[in-house]
Amino acid sequence: MYITYSIKTAFKSLIDEKWINLLCVLTVASSLIIIILMGLFLFNIERLADKLHERYGMVVFLDERLTENEIRSLLSTLQSREEVSSVRYISKESAMKELKEHLKEMSYIFDGLDVNPLTPAVELNIKKKYINAKNIKDLSNDLQKINGIDEIYSAEKIAESINYFYRSLTNLGLIIMITLTSGVIFVIYSTVKILFYRRKEEIEIIKLLGATKSFIRMPFLIEGSIIGFTGGLISIIVSFLFYFAITYRLGSVFPFVETLIFPTEAIFVFLIIGALLGIIGAFIAVGRLRF
Amino acid sequence: MIYFENVSKFYDYHTVLKSVSFTIEKGEMLFITGPSGAGKSTLLKLIYKGADFDEGEIVVGNYKLSQIRTSEIPNYRKNIGIVFQDFKLLKNLSVYNNVALALRIRGLSEREIKARVSEVLKRVNLRHLAESNPMALSGGEQQRIVIARAVVAEPQIILADEPTGNLDPNTSIDIINLLKDINLNGSTIIIATHSPELFKDTGKRVLKIDASKIVREMKG
Repeated sequence: MYITYSIKTAFKSLIDEKWINLLCVLTVASSLIIIILMGLFLFNIERLADKLHERYGMVVFLDERLTENEIRSLLSTLQSREEVSSVRYISKESAMKELKEHLKEMSYIFDGLDVNPLTPAVELNIKKKYINAKNIKDLSNDLQKINGIDEIYSAEKIAESINYFYRSLTNLGLIIMITLTSGVIFVIYSTVKILFYRRKEEIEIIKLLGATKSFIRMPFLIEGSIIGFTGGLISIIVSFLFYFAITYRLGSVFPFVETLIFPTEAIFVFLIIGALLGIIGAFIAVGRLRF
Repeated sequence: MIYFENVSKFYDYHTVLKSVSFTIEKGEMLFITGPSGAGKSTLLKLIYKGADFDEGEIVVGNYKLSQIRTSEIPNYRKNIGIVFQDFKLLKNLSVYNNVALALRIRGLSEREIKARVSEVLKRVNLRHLAESNPMALSGGEQQRIVIARAVVAEPQIILADEPTGNLDPNTSIDIINLLKDINLNGSTIIIATHSPELFKDTGKRVLKIDASKIVREMKG
């Protein structure tokens, strides 16, 4: 097999053309650092958005005259809705208790009341994919038609804001990541293209000796993958140091920083992504070989 | 083995070969001679698919060259060893690695490569220069490296384009004797040369090309 020859040729080229290869590795690493930090940011934003989604709920206020059986039936109807992930019934008494706990020292203002003015309610948790203004409004209109429901608090605007915030950041992040990924491929493409032209005479000779396309391409693909892999390795190390510095230094001042997570899977993923981008760039650079 | 039928080759409006027909038997050693620019090198190029012909047909073994697919060319060329007029040695590789390249392309193991290259370098009397850079060697030595590279894989056909081009008479005789030995082992050899001294008294068939045509067939 000629794989040993291909590996030796790739390493020889990496050493012979060390400056152009080093420049390429550093450029790839710089782009990958931005991609990793952007990915880290989006990953943590998604976690945050999930928490916001978990906290979002609709409150349905019920008619006080409903019997226990009617309430049970109503809860079952609400739970059966596709958009609803869970329901929680809050009786008048529980509502008053929760309100007093919330008001703490101010709770004495209810002491003089003979009657509980609060109404029983049901808190609905909505599935993440349904949290947007239109779905919430549709759901609200549907529920309004059910007998025994007096009023609905749906906060459509909050739902839309959560969604908009998450969508905008994700889209922006993805655009930046795609642009930089294309940039990485282009940088590796340009470098390998230069190296290919420098070895053009040699390639023409080995073609005449009977070399196949894969024999000619293999050293360039290996070289591209090594450039991408090394760029990925450097970017992972720098990004992790950056993450460590941020959480260690700023964690005590801004506690939320400590909740940021650097997933360890990213280390392997970005090494593989680096190598893959290298192979893609090199493959395009070598292009179609003619005999 | 090799069959040319009314083969013509044009470069722009210039005719390089016109209706050339001949046959070469398996194991034959054939000289092609003629003045510079007669079309000798082009004829060899057509055989190893370094250029395409415009008319006629060339058959080499089982391959009809007008119908050969691009993907088949590397395998087809593996049956041919070429001694280039301008050597075409790789400057960044040692003598050993230049010769070994022909075997690496054929996917042989490093162990087998070492054995075969050592043997062929001994045969061309270059074993002591195996680790040298070819560019530091003389024209005759470089020519012998090219011959070693052409024969190391034991191809069925060897094409030699002016193999003694810039060599002194004694070295030229050595090179031709070397090619004769290789021919005795069964390889078909075609040598293009403008020098009649090379085929004189060899007893081998000689085709003379002039003005794009075969004008004479004779014995050396």
